[in-house]
Amino acid sequence: MATWKAAGDAAKSAIKLSTNLTKLEVNRNPHHVLGSLYTKTLRALAKMPQDYAYRKHTEAILNDRVSQLKATTDLQLLEKNINCGQIEEVVIQAQYELRLARHLLEVKSWEGLIEEAKPNQWKWPM
Amino acid sequence: MAFKAVNLFRAMGRTSAWPVVAASRSTDRSMPVLARTLATEAPEAPQEETRPTVRKFDPIQRSNLMDYGQYVAECLPKFVQKVQLTAGDELEVLIAPEGVLTVMTFLKNHHNAQFTNLVDIAGVDMPTREFRFEVVYNFLSLRFNSRIRVKTYTDEMTPIESICSIFPAANWYEREVFDMFGVFFVNHPDLRRILTDYGFEGHPLRKDFPLSGYLECRYDDELARVVYEPVELAQEYRKFDLAAPWEQFPNFRESVPAVEDVPLEKGEPEKTK
Repeated sequence: MATWKAAGDAAKSAIKLSTNLTKLEVNRNPHHVLGSLYTKTLRALAKMPQDYAYRKHTEAILNDRVSQLKATTDLQLLEKNINCGQIEEVVIQAQYELRLARHLLEVKSWEGLIEEAKPNQWKWPM
Repeated sequence: MAFKAVNLFRAMGRTSAWPVVAASRSTDRSMPVLARTLATEAPEAPQEETRPTVRKFDPIQRSNLMDYGQYVAECLPKFVQKVQLTAGDELEVLIAPEGVLTVMTFLKNHHNAQFTNLVDIAGVDMPTREFRFEVVYNFLSLRFNSRIRVKTYTDEMTPIESICSIFPAANWYEREVFDMFGVFFVNHPDLRRILTDYGFEGHPLRKDFPLSGYLECRYDDELARVVYEPVELAQEYRKFDLAAPWEQFPNFRESVPAVEDVPLEKGEPEKTK
């Protein structure tokens, strides 16, 4: 009973106890983590060619996110504005994006098609 | 302004029975997407499918899928060979085998993709083609409630990059494809047969695999153990003509085209080999 009361009090003071998602712990300073992840990703993107579509789209998304981070410190409002799940999930997405940007930089995915398909390769019905 | 457009896009996006719980993809493409759906709605209205037995498609969903296919293609011009819609509303991305890892990484990790679930890996055998095997990956994005299919190709000798490092779920699926078709996956942690018996020979889903198999096993009384012997059939070959002389459903033969190409913007300035 006492723990329930404590949980209720905690909820009132808006401290999140759990994400209710397996293996996903509550993040105590999401603003800082997200900010650094977005900065790193933007730095990786800056090394790609200017007119590469992935760079343009991702920069647009990330700059939007950065401005939303700066706009508010209220986590619930931030989650609602970003609209991609809880802030902990957004952190995971940011980590994924950083990994992807570095991978694309490595394979130089903006180059021309590496190999044309054989003439009848994608012909269907045969 | 852009935010408003995104909200509009979300409201119009899905008209299926599922409630719109997922977020919409927020790119600066959402504006052209919106314009396109608004523009195409009017002319498509008279062609609306009225036959009760034919599946109906959501034109907005179809054009969203086409736009998304173009988005993937322009983000990965090095690997995407073709994008198409099959069976009316299923998006397929056809890629060069060198790009397997990169395309899967993109589909899992990009903010606007988030295809984090690998649903299945399948194989197809088309012996008349130069690369006879197709490997088909099916993905699901829970965030956006959408699906995508990625296809690539190989032959008996050319290995394909394993995607176990990105999707642990691929482990058994790739073993299955290896078992059934004999496609090799490099960097797979544990590439063994998974469905067939110990000591099995051949890959059963290849078109040139005989229906009776190569070996038969029986219990031998004299040896008091199970023995494996080459199959010997009294009747070598018989032609079964099972096709009916008439077409059963001529009215619905052309109702859905099997494949519709999604046009891609070709001719990038940096066309380097």
